[in-house]
Amino acid sequence: MVAMHIIDALQRGAILIVADPRKTMLAGLAHIHLQHRCGTDVVLLNSIMNVIINEGLVNIDFVKMRTERFDEFEKVIREYTPQMAEAITGVPEEEIRRAARIYASENRTMLFYGMGITQHTTGVDNVHACANLVMLTAHVGHTATGLNPLRGHNNVQGACDMGALPDFLTGYQPVSDPDIRQRFERVWAVRLNPVPGLTLTEMISASLTKRIRAMYIMGENPVLSDPHTDHTIRSLKALDFLVVQDIFMTETTQLADVVLPGVSFAEKDGTFTNTERRVQKIRRAAIEPVGEALPDWQIISELSTRMGYSMNYRGTYEIMEEIALLTPIYRGIRHHRLEHNFGIQWPCPDTSHPGTAYLHRKRFSKGMGTFIPTPYIPPAEVPDSEFPFVLTTGRNYFQFHIGTMSRKTITLEREDPECFVEVNPEDARSLGIRNREKIRVITRRGSIDVIAKVTDRIIPGTIYIPFHFHEAPANRLTNPALDEIARIPEFKVCAARIERL
Amino acid sequence: MIENIYRPFKVIISEIKQLSENVRLFRLKLDREIDYLPAQFFMLGVWGAGEVPISVASTSGRDPYIEFGIRKVGKVTGALHELKAGEAVWMRGPFGNGFDLKTAHGRDIIFVAGGIGILPLRALINHILMERHFFGRLFLIYGSKRPSEMLFSDEIPLWKEAGIDVILTVDIKDGLWRGYTGVVTEHIDRIKTDFREACSYICGPEVMIENTVKELSLRGMPDHLINISLERRMKCGIGKCGQCYHGIEYICINGPVYTYEDIKKRLALYGA
Amino acid sequence: MIERFILDKNDLSYWLRQIRKNASLIAPVKSLVGDVVFESLEQIHEISLDHPLPPPSVKEFLFPQIETMFEYNGDEIKEIIDEEMRVVVGLRSCDASAIKIIDRFFAGETGSDYDMVHPNRKYKDPYYFSRRQNTVFISMGCNVPGAVCFCYNLGAGPFLDSGFDIQLIDLEDRYLVEADSEKGKGLVRRYDYLFRKVETGDLEDRFEALLSSISKFEKRIDLRETGQKIKNSMPDSFWQWVAERCFECGGCVYVCSLCTCFNIVDYNFSNQSGKRCRIWDTCLFKGFTEMAGRVIPQEKKEQRLKRWWFHKILYYPEQFKTFGCVGCGRCTITCPGHIDIATLSEKIMGWR
Repeated sequence: MVAMHIIDALQRGAILIVADPRKTMLAGLAHIHLQHRCGTDVVLLNSIMNVIINEGLVNIDFVKMRTERFDEFEKVIREYTPQMAEAITGVPEEEIRRAARIYASENRTMLFYGMGITQHTTGVDNVHACANLVMLTAHVGHTATGLNPLRGHNNVQGACDMGALPDFLTGYQPVSDPDIRQRFERVWAVRLNPVPGLTLTEMISASLTKRIRAMYIMGENPVLSDPHTDHTIRSLKALDFLVVQDIFMTETTQLADVVLPGVSFAEKDGTFTNTERRVQKIRRAAIEPVGEALPDWQIISELSTRMGYSMNYRGTYEIMEEIALLTPIYRGIRHHRLEHNFGIQWPCPDTSHPGTAYLHRKRFSKGMGTFIPTPYIPPAEVPDSEFPFVLTTGRNYFQFHIGTMSRKTITLEREDPECFVEVNPEDARSLGIRNREKIRVITRRGSIDVIAKVTDRIIPGTIYIPFHFHEAPANRLTNPALDEIARIPEFKVCAARIERL
Repeated sequence: MIENIYRPFKVIISEIKQLSENVRLFRLKLDREIDYLPAQFFMLGVWGAGEVPISVASTSGRDPYIEFGIRKVGKVTGALHELKAGEAVWMRGPFGNGFDLKTAHGRDIIFVAGGIGILPLRALINHILMERHFFGRLFLIYGSKRPSEMLFSDEIPLWKEAGIDVILTVDIKDGLWRGYTGVVTEHIDRIKTDFREACSYICGPEVMIENTVKELSLRGMPDHLINISLERRMKCGIGKCGQCYHGIEYICINGPVYTYEDIKKRLALYGA
Repeated sequence: MIERFILDKNDLSYWLRQIRKNASLIAPVKSLVGDVVFESLEQIHEISLDHPLPPPSVKEFLFPQIETMFEYNGDEIKEIIDEEMRVVVGLRSCDASAIKIIDRFFAGETGSDYDMVHPNRKYKDPYYFSRRQNTVFISMGCNVPGAVCFCYNLGAGPFLDSGFDIQLIDLEDRYLVEADSEKGKGLVRRYDYLFRKVETGDLEDRFEALLSSISKFEKRIDLRETGQKIKNSMPDSFWQWVAERCFECGGCVYVCSLCTCFNIVDYNFSNQSGKRCRIWDTCLFKGFTEMAGRVIPQEKKEQRLKRWWFHKILYYPEQFKTFGCVGCGRCTITCPGHIDIATLSEKIMGWR
């Protein structure tokens, strides 16, 4: 949907710059395509900012009035000349300059990024670098500007808003803050543990040391979606007790002691919150739950009640009321307010507030915007003589995520039935690989056999595998190395070798 | 009430013969009279797997049963290969047009088969042998990848006895192979006939058909006497689902048989 | 022979209410957020006739997106034939024109000399026609065409001259009701007390409304010229350019009131029982022509797109003597890549 709007903008004369190691469909339509090597995002962004600073394209007033710690940041940026960036990223110096000039000198520019920025050991650095660029040019806080992260699923934002994070309660209220905790404790009439929990990847590992002994997984299939599949399976098997709730049987439910049947979007009501913080009501359940399945909230209420804490909600609207009670950014959101519009964007401080279209208008929500220098740190695993290729993973057009849903859809599965690895024609020639030949991809963690797709969509020295297919799970290969702050695994880069069979 | 052409009827497999490693010949008992022509096809189905178009390998009016040669390549053919004698196949048909034999009357005929393209040609050859007196001399060039993939090695001698000049060729030979090697087009000149007066029937992979048509045409065979049969994905068999499109044509109802003249006029014209 | 009557606007709801006693009534309804969709009408007053064109076409009431053909259980086959009586009201002239054409397609008779060359085409689709026989369409002439409409250039609107069940034409305070088919005439005759005879002034008003509507079309699309140009002089680089903009979403085909391709699939309940269904499919998908063993005759996206265009603009006229497009403009609204019929047709005419 976002791409549709981007194309509409192109049609109206907008300029599009795409930075992607692969030649995606949008890249094909772009005015400039920066095809940088995987894991060199920071260098590319830093060098773009280098050009902006050197050519006097910085919005000085904005930097002075709204940001802090520019000088320190500038020193780091000075090192990242376009010449140096060309050597590391493989993007021609002149292209970097052109992109920088266009980005900085347009009146309004939007910056979008997806998993390619975040799924790295330097994921947080990458995001900081994007933020620096936005602040440097003042493309933030009004219409058609800003830093726009694209989420991988429809309700990732909503899940985070609701505190599905180890260190936050709802609405990003730190669990370590005693005042906040106290408020929740009074409403819920329970004691809350003040210590932040573990992240997903940490939990998986913690089961091996018996630090975690039971797990309840809802609507996820970590066997396929987490890096280093073998490790994940071993960890889940080490648990004393595993409950999995999903709409279909998956590779993960096979390891479970108890499987709880959940419902799909069409069988439930409630809200989804999208990437622009828009809380949207699902109108009404289109069909009754199939078989013994129950909506997630009913399963949780029932479980909780049986475990001794009674939850008696009459419907999802009552839960939304409780959310509003405890969550300042959702303060004014109620189901009935979402019926006759396209939803409300939080922060929404009271029931007559129309919602907030743009964050950071007039001032950043934290006060001054801080420039955080982002020196280049190479990916955790770089190619060497034994594993000479960079392996990156991603999604195909006709499949969704690990295929739990899309692979059950006849037409989608027909269009995209098998896993493949994209190899540049140059590499294919030197290794003697023919198109559609079955080859083996090996990393330090494992190997899979897949069909080679020889294509110039990918740059030489890099290979790409979609991660939808359980027959050839790409995540058997990927590196579970984590970003130190966000604890996100480095799905997007690891070293690999390919062999003919 | 409109007749439901999508409703299949049940037939029982009486015998299954392994023709090569992954090709089996299914013989089905018929409890009703069905007239069909060589190169016509039936939709054969297995519950849960779906249906596939398969051209008949037997000859109507000669055989008291109906036969289909099926290569195991996909989901439905895989399911068909799971079946045993005595079990049921669900079938609809016949669909499509059979080969036009009238234009061949009084002429020498060249059959060219590649791989499992021999299956519909077997039906045709047996049909023509039934009406032998209408036709001139008969030639068959049959090419397959390996000797082990050559089908009907038991019937080919019978065809030879009946006076057909048979040329067998393989791409990759093994120790025991005594026939020719190479693709079928390399052996066309072994046929001693006046190509300008003869006619031909070609079945096989599309590339092989293309090359053979070109070679025969070069030797002066008139376009309307070069007959081919095309293969496409089909779901309905009756010109509705659209899956077998080829330019303006739906192969299931307008084909699968075409003359080179048709191809030039109706298919190649638009190039889409 | 078309029969014409006048219906007072105040009596429309009464007429519809009577109709609903014997059939399920389907009409455009505005959803809470403003989308107009065809739905079974619960409250007569909810009908929304002054709307732009509803995004899904009415073909789904004759040829549903997914439809069970029969259920099987071992040796038993239970055919699922839909014989529900339906009256669909509020579709536009373009949709009514499309139904005329797909009627011929599903009947296996193009109605042209093409049938003589290919007598084998005459298979009548039982599922389509059991629905068609039990459905009456009451279409609306368009007094104000939408911004994407170009039906006038294709002879598919704004008003129709024949080939419909019933056509309503809005004459401000009253409807001119035109009934062409026997089914349509029946629906008027049964409630004749609601209608009055047509007078000369009514027909003058109709003519006036037609002229006014025609003058309001913003698009001028000549598919005949476009067809000549794509047949003769569009280079491969052009189709390459189109392919770069095609997302293979299939949206154009799903909203098109003339696209009818489908796939047939089995869903097993158990080992021997299940159902055989047909579902909408699109020739723009690579797997559409895929044969066993991953042989794909139309592997390249540009081939598929070119063929879709050829089919609509060159093959349809050859077979059906009409374009495979009624100018409804739905693809213009839907296509994310701006390569819909109208936009691309303009592009083709300007391409050098």
